[in-house]
Amino acid sequence: MKLAELQAYFARAATSGNGPLPDLEEFFLGSEQLPAKDRLAIYNRGYFYRLLDALASVFGATKRVLGDSDFERLGLSYVARYPSEHPAVERVGRAFASHLRSAGVSSPVVDLAQLEWARLRALVSPNPASVASVDAIDSERFPAARVRLVPSLQRLELDARALTAFNGGDLALREESTGTCGVAVWRSNYAVQHQSLDALEWQALASAESGATLSLVCSVFDSGSPSEDVRQAFRVLSGWFARGWLESVIYDEAPAD
Amino acid sequence: MRRAADQEPALNEPSLAEAGLDGAARVGFGLRVPHYDAILGRGLRADFAEAISENFLGRGGRAFSVLSRVRSDMPVALHGVSLSIGGMDPLSESYLAELSELAKRIGAFSVSDHLSFGTFGGHYGHDLWPLPYTEEALSHVVERVQQVQDRLGRRLLLENVSSYVQYRASALTEWEFLTEVVTRADAGLLLDLNNVFVNAVNHGFSASQYLRALPKERVQQIHLAGHSDAGGYLLDDHGSAVSAAVWRMYEESLELFGALPTIVEWDERLPELSVLEAEADQARALSNRRLSAEVEGKP
Repeated sequence: MKLAELQAYFARAATSGNGPLPDLEEFFLGSEQLPAKDRLAIYNRGYFYRLLDALASVFGATKRVLGDSDFERLGLSYVARYPSEHPAVERVGRAFASHLRSAGVSSPVVDLAQLEWARLRALVSPNPASVASVDAIDSERFPAARVRLVPSLQRLELDARALTAFNGGDLALREESTGTCGVAVWRSNYAVQHQSLDALEWQALASAESGATLSLVCSVFDSGSPSEDVRQAFRVLSGWFARGWLESVIYDEAPAD
Repeated sequence: MRRAADQEPALNEPSLAEAGLDGAARVGFGLRVPHYDAILGRGLRADFAEAISENFLGRGGRAFSVLSRVRSDMPVALHGVSLSIGGMDPLSESYLAELSELAKRIGAFSVSDHLSFGTFGGHYGHDLWPLPYTEEALSHVVERVQQVQDRLGRRLLLENVSSYVQYRASALTEWEFLTEVVTRADAGLLLDLNNVFVNAVNHGFSASQYLRALPKERVQQIHLAGHSDAGGYLLDDHGSAVSAAVWRMYEESLELFGALPTIVEWDERLPELSVLEAEADQARALSNRRLSAEVEGKP
């Protein structure tokens, strides 16, 4: 058997969720004390439980609300269907939330898994090249400026009960839905944080993320009271600077002499 | 098989002297997440440290701060688990680019990975699966090691892995295969003594014969770790102190290869940092004893 075939056979034996492959003894040496089938089973167990451990380390709150037994059942079926595509084992859970959805898990628990995945992504994201301070604003050119967001910042729309469950309020999962809310997830120095946003701030952040100018970003605040809209826009943008969400403020045109 | 000398890349890894790791016993251990707070708080009591490459590739935040903090105090070796040097999937260019960037950024004194495979059809097994010891596998691995060394511009160290099964197709012993790979590819050898011991028990060969067959000039680093008795076989779980048998092998390796940079690994049931430091102290004491004997001209 060629190397490629031997490796493919080994990988199938190590990652099969359906018990040992036939003909193992033909390709692998065993002993009376430990037959080849049992030797390959060591790799098979190691494969599934290593990946299950990686899922548990990322989806701790999801595991708590599902319970150990359901988490293991769903985790093992996930790993069998979605093998890892990343050299770092912790990234195996990229599609875990959608797997839970397709397995019929309730919407707030699926969203809890989405939140935990976003938090992992924020944790491992690269450091921003810089963090802009409010001093970076040139008031003359402010309306035409755009912002670059830090790599860890993500926007999610989640069932509000998922946020409560993340903080240990599992009873919220039994309550009636109060709808979805916009959530920002980011890393500030070492700590990953998340926060729900009101609808207008959510819309403004989406606009900034798409590369809109700050004048367009601020145009979402349109209550009919210009002075109130300016105050609101100032409050929201100040919050973005304060939370370290902005890597830089970009002015397309060169400054005038 | 190896390219002519004038075509060779500059394998410009720092020498042990440049890294400050020659002339004295040099012992350290691997950076593990549960120890990060202690490391950021009080630093690390070691001569050098080993970082799992995949835990730092492309990452910022606390992980990189820990690595930077440690690097400001001591040399750092990068040790990978996902290169899959023996695999059939093409080597990942993005992985190698990130590894190269990280090695340069922190001035890693060595870059190592395992003589095994762990990728299949574009996926990662996150395990160190054994290779068949055949001429075909040998040629395949040697070519890929050379590719990696060309890409990184430095010598790669390859670690022998623990295993629980052997292929019927193998035509060479494990130590013959290892020797041929590092010699033909002009690579270094990171000798994991616990893995040799585990395999010796699991497959029924002499650990001492294995050590004595290795090319002395290629052995550049040593790994020590614990294993457990799983009933019928030894499991390389890195979940306990180094066993007495492996300490005896360490003494034998000191006689054979001299006092080399040594890492104590511990992954499962991770104890306090002080426990690892005590294990490292034991390795340092044995290394120092060997160095003293060399100075006194004793065999």
